[in-house]
Amino acid sequence: MVGPVTHGKTPGSKAGMKVVPSRPEVRTDPAPVRGPASAMIEIERVSQTFRTAGRQAHLALSDISLTIEDGAFVSILGPSGCGKSTLLYIVGGFVSPTEGEARVKGRTITGPGPDRGPVFQEFALFPWKTVLGNVMYGPRQQGVKSAEADAQSRRLIEMVGLKGFENFYPKELSGGMKQRVALARTLAYHPAVLLMDEPFGALDAHTRTRLQNDLLNIWERDRKTVLFVTHSVDEAVFLSDKVVVMTRAPGRIKEIVDIALPRPRRRAELLLDPRYQKYVVEIERMIDDTSEEGLHP
Amino acid sequence: MTTARALLPRLAPLLACLGLFAIWQVASMTLNTESFPTAIEAVRAVPSILGDKESVINILDSLRRMAIAFSAALVVAIPLGLMMGRSRLVASFFNPLLMITYPVPKAALMPIIMLWLGVGDLAKMLVIFLGVSLPVIYHSFQGAKAVEEKMLWSGAAMGLSAPQRMVRIVLPAALPEILTGCRTGLVLALITMVTSEMIARQSGAGNILFNSLDMGQYDTVYAMIIIIGAMGIGLDAAFEKLRSRLVRWSEPGFDIPLSFA
Repeated sequence: MVGPVTHGKTPGSKAGMKVVPSRPEVRTDPAPVRGPASAMIEIERVSQTFRTAGRQAHLALSDISLTIEDGAFVSILGPSGCGKSTLLYIVGGFVSPTEGEARVKGRTITGPGPDRGPVFQEFALFPWKTVLGNVMYGPRQQGVKSAEADAQSRRLIEMVGLKGFENFYPKELSGGMKQRVALARTLAYHPAVLLMDEPFGALDAHTRTRLQNDLLNIWERDRKTVLFVTHSVDEAVFLSDKVVVMTRAPGRIKEIVDIALPRPRRRAELLLDPRYQKYVVEIERMIDDTSEEGLHP
Repeated sequence: MTTARALLPRLAPLLACLGLFAIWQVASMTLNTESFPTAIEAVRAVPSILGDKESVINILDSLRRMAIAFSAALVVAIPLGLMMGRSRLVASFFNPLLMITYPVPKAALMPIIMLWLGVGDLAKMLVIFLGVSLPVIYHSFQGAKAVEEKMLWSGAAMGLSAPQRMVRIVLPAALPEILTGCRTGLVLALITMVTSEMIARQSGAGNILFNSLDMGQYDTVYAMIIIIGAMGIGLDAAFEKLRSRLVRWSEPGFDIPLSFA
């Protein structure tokens, strides 16, 4: 069957097929038809064991299998210590799993790479670089010319709401502003997947709400695949297409909830929406169950 | 009034020096022994040393050895300390060696080193090198160890290789700590410089000091102490200026974050 030439992402491309490397900065035509959603991340039977200080083996993740589709916003939700961050680090390539494997676009993950951009709760900015220097770092590393990287980075800084702060050092910024810089710094090198590790966990409630809104606005422009780790049910439901609920240690997937709420989402409307409230209550109940399991193993 | 209040902190070091000289003056006048000249006598002897070509050559000789040994120590100690901070293997290999050498007074090694290398520049520079290396290694090690893992992960995600992360993330992130070590190292360099010349008399500032001590020229001895002290203050101030420029981004003066989300 000879069909029209498809632009951009080829859906369903298995490993071994000819893959046209799609440059992230090249935009496809407006409103690209998303064929059958293709898998961006596949996690297959991943387990993770740590050695504790007492030399005991601690099972952090147990037999996790999960597929995340291209362009999906997926949250991993669970009580602290359930290994949800570890799962994100495995996808990032920062930690290698004891068993099983994780793949991105069909390729087995063996280490970190610019196709997966992390945003950490601790910001992890380079304190010796200005805001602009931090955001330019990735593009410069990728070989983007200085003038071009400068212009791109300034646009990104404006997009995250920090115009005028280009020459400030991280030390001079508040937590919320630092996290905006961290987001811009990661977006600057066009990762196909954003890996967000409790990014708003260290912020006060007000700042957190503002950043959630802004993240959604930014995300709705280009719909990158996002893997978002959080322990806040509201946050997970508000942001995600899918919420993966995990059990207490050893972390297992308890349930995957599809959040069928329309987009673009507006907080004010959503909070009054009974469907939203139902999701929150339902997921909170699941988490209560997992705590019970934790108490009576 | 406000100008007087602003001026006072700037004048404080000067006042402290004057106070010290005053106590010295009074003490030496009370003791009244030949081997303890008054501050005024000592200060008077300073220009005659600095005006003497021979003495100036000696002092410059000392500074030259110190500069070479200090630089060589930084070139070796900083990379070693950083690698120890990031690799448990490297740390467990070098740590015992450092633990053994740390408490040994470096100048006490001078006679042994002289047996190998003679009384010339090389032996003295080696002693200064050893004296400077240890604090610089230690501080570089601490600085590298404290580098946030997530910062390195962020760099790795951008495509920085392990050696690149070492040079472009660990080094700058540890720089404030490294420079603290260098500052200690600089003072130790001056101390070991003088003591090395005490043992191997040939040339140098220490040479003038201890020779005049042997000859009982006490005003020259004390004048040399003043000159060496002044060199210490001068070097430290110059280094501090350089340091604060290099790590402006980490200065606590910057610590007032703007608040807005």
